[in-house]
Amino acid sequence: MKYLGWDELLPGAILFSFDEEMEKDACEVLPENRPYAETNSHEAYVGDWRVLKPVYNRDLCIDCQFCWIYCPDVSIISRDKKMIGVDYDHCKGCGICVEVCPTNPKSLLMFDEHVENEKALAQWPEKE
Amino acid sequence: MLEIRWHSRAGQGAVTGAKGLADVVSRTGKFVQAFAFYGSAKRGAAMTAYNRVDDEEILNHEKFMHPDYVLVIDPGLTYTADITAHEKDTTKYIITTHLDKEELIAGQPKLKGKDVYVVDCMQISLDTIGRAIPNTPMLGALMKVSGMFELDYFQNAMKGVLAKFPQKIIDANMAAIERAYNSVK
Amino acid sequence: MAEKMELNEVEVWDGNMAASQALRQAQVDVVAAYPITPSTPIVQNYSSFLANGYIDGEFVMVESEHAAMSGCVGAAAAGGRVATATSSQGFALMSEVLYQASGMRLPIVLTVVNRALAAPLNVNGDHSDMYLGRDSGWIQLDAFNCQQAYDLTLMAFRIGEDHSIRLPVMVHQDGFITSHTAENVKPLSDDEAYEFVGEYKPMNAMLDLAKPVTYGVQTEEDWHFEHKARQHADLMTKVFGKVEEVFDAFEKKTGRKYNIVEEYMMEDAEVAIVALGTTVETSELVAKMMREEGIKAGVVAPRLFRPWPFEQIRKALANVKAVACLDRSSPNGALGALYNEVTASLYQNDNRPVITNYIYGLGGRDFTIDHAKEIFKELDANAKEGRPTTPLQQFVGLRGPKLSFY
Repeated sequence: MKYLGWDELLPGAILFSFDEEMEKDACEVLPENRPYAETNSHEAYVGDWRVLKPVYNRDLCIDCQFCWIYCPDVSIISRDKKMIGVDYDHCKGCGICVEVCPTNPKSLLMFDEHVENEKALAQWPEKE
Repeated sequence: MLEIRWHSRAGQGAVTGAKGLADVVSRTGKFVQAFAFYGSAKRGAAMTAYNRVDDEEILNHEKFMHPDYVLVIDPGLTYTADITAHEKDTTKYIITTHLDKEELIAGQPKLKGKDVYVVDCMQISLDTIGRAIPNTPMLGALMKVSGMFELDYFQNAMKGVLAKFPQKIIDANMAAIERAYNSVK
Repeated sequence: MAEKMELNEVEVWDGNMAASQALRQAQVDVVAAYPITPSTPIVQNYSSFLANGYIDGEFVMVESEHAAMSGCVGAAAAGGRVATATSSQGFALMSEVLYQASGMRLPIVLTVVNRALAAPLNVNGDHSDMYLGRDSGWIQLDAFNCQQAYDLTLMAFRIGEDHSIRLPVMVHQDGFITSHTAENVKPLSDDEAYEFVGEYKPMNAMLDLAKPVTYGVQTEEDWHFEHKARQHADLMTKVFGKVEEVFDAFEKKTGRKYNIVEEYMMEDAEVAIVALGTTVETSELVAKMMREEGIKAGVVAPRLFRPWPFEQIRKALANVKAVACLDRSSPNGALGALYNEVTASLYQNDNRPVITNYIYGLGGRDFTIDHAKEIFKELDANAKEGRPTTPLQQFVGLRGPKLSFY
């Protein structure tokens, strides 16, 4: 990010979320279609804050959206009420999505960061 | 510059009286001030309120004054408050009391030789308004003693000041003003 | 639609009523307040106007002054016209959020009824709270009477909300001596007042969801300095012109003339009192009296306390021989703030008058005509001698042995 001089700054130390004004409210535009500004936290990679990562199992998921609602960092990706996966650029590995998942076995489980997702899915536990 | 000091107890309406007087006087094109000493006084504590009236804009914001009129609206304060503080030779005293002037001065000798007027604002307000709110009757007495305004004019102006109150209360206040105007001695 | 209030050509209002009527006429969207003596009636009157249908807006009761100003910050960032009132301890509790408001460039109007700061506890007027706000990045306007408390509150909206300014504004008045003293006030009609203030034009509103914006970002050593410099530069270069423009527009509307630095009888004055608040008017009265005694006395008063009117003060006091700076706040280990500001300003002039400092009126202690007379006489002696004939800092109206320094 380019450093600016005092005379180039916006008064109030404010940051606009998007590079351009949208034709409609941002909430009506899908995240992948929003013109995020460089200073928007969407553009920042914070995935390396994680020690454990949530892995998502499509075969078990009932699309209840609990994880989407509870995620404190908007890192559960869902479209038209269908779960798609986890945004690993922003997920910080808190585990709340796993905690609230109601299926048996859970459709989201925490694994070590270095375990590949395919291997994680292969060692998924059985129903209790 | 005309200067007035009120001696009252917090809750008896001296501030309202001083502001009401200021309001009436301002309608004649004069400049006015109405203020009070507060502190953290509770209802019933002795307090003072003040008026200034002048033909020019009042720039003086000192609290100190040599009053032209001292208005005492609680009978007890004649004996306990320093009502003659910073008086002038010409200061006029209008004092709420059920006593006549001679009895009052006998009980408070420092009023001897002063220009003293007595009026029973307590009884008047109890009889007319139904509560011990002696401020409006005191204004009636002040009008008579000072000759500031005719009774009719003052009553009409006070109706404007009291406009937010119900008619019954306005009428009671008018009666109180008139009785004090006619009975101050 | 809010109801209109019929007002007389001349009203008898105390300073609090004057301020609350100006807030009503400006049709503030949100007032978040926690009342404190002596400014309580401002928000009390305001909430009663609102309850009686004279205002379309929100009155938010909060749990402290810190929360009051925080509520104001949120509402202003969201995109509304916002105001509140406070005094003394409440002002002190607000102080953390005052910097947030100015740093985010939110044009909140804060009517401050000046009151002493505890301990010891005191409800009466002095300028301790006003001085506490002087580095907070707000614009500070000072009223010397009730009329000015009304006028300046209306003007504050127009100054602060201008898109070239976008800074919060405090309008100060003296506790009790103005706030609880009823005087003649000539109000504008509701329509005239609103027309003068103008409709609020949001800028970078947080609730504009087509162009969302983040307020309250964190900056460390790589960005913070530039943001603070930007705010300071705007205060130093943009505010004076805007204040003059609004004062001129107000004069055209009402005939009442305001100046960034007020001068009374300064055309030929040899000695001058510099003061704030009601003391300015008492000093003006006394300056007239001194002229009858042959002392060419005048009074200079910063109407705008922040940003500090450096050039205007230099000009106003360019030709005097002796100046007294009157500070109504305990300097607690220094010369008074007004003394330091005025002295720094005049040090750049070719003519350097004798400048002395008087501390007076703390906790509402009366400032009398006799005090002002005594100060003018001492100034006259300083002017004749060309040097201080008294200590540099003296306490006025204080019991006990004479207290003075340097």
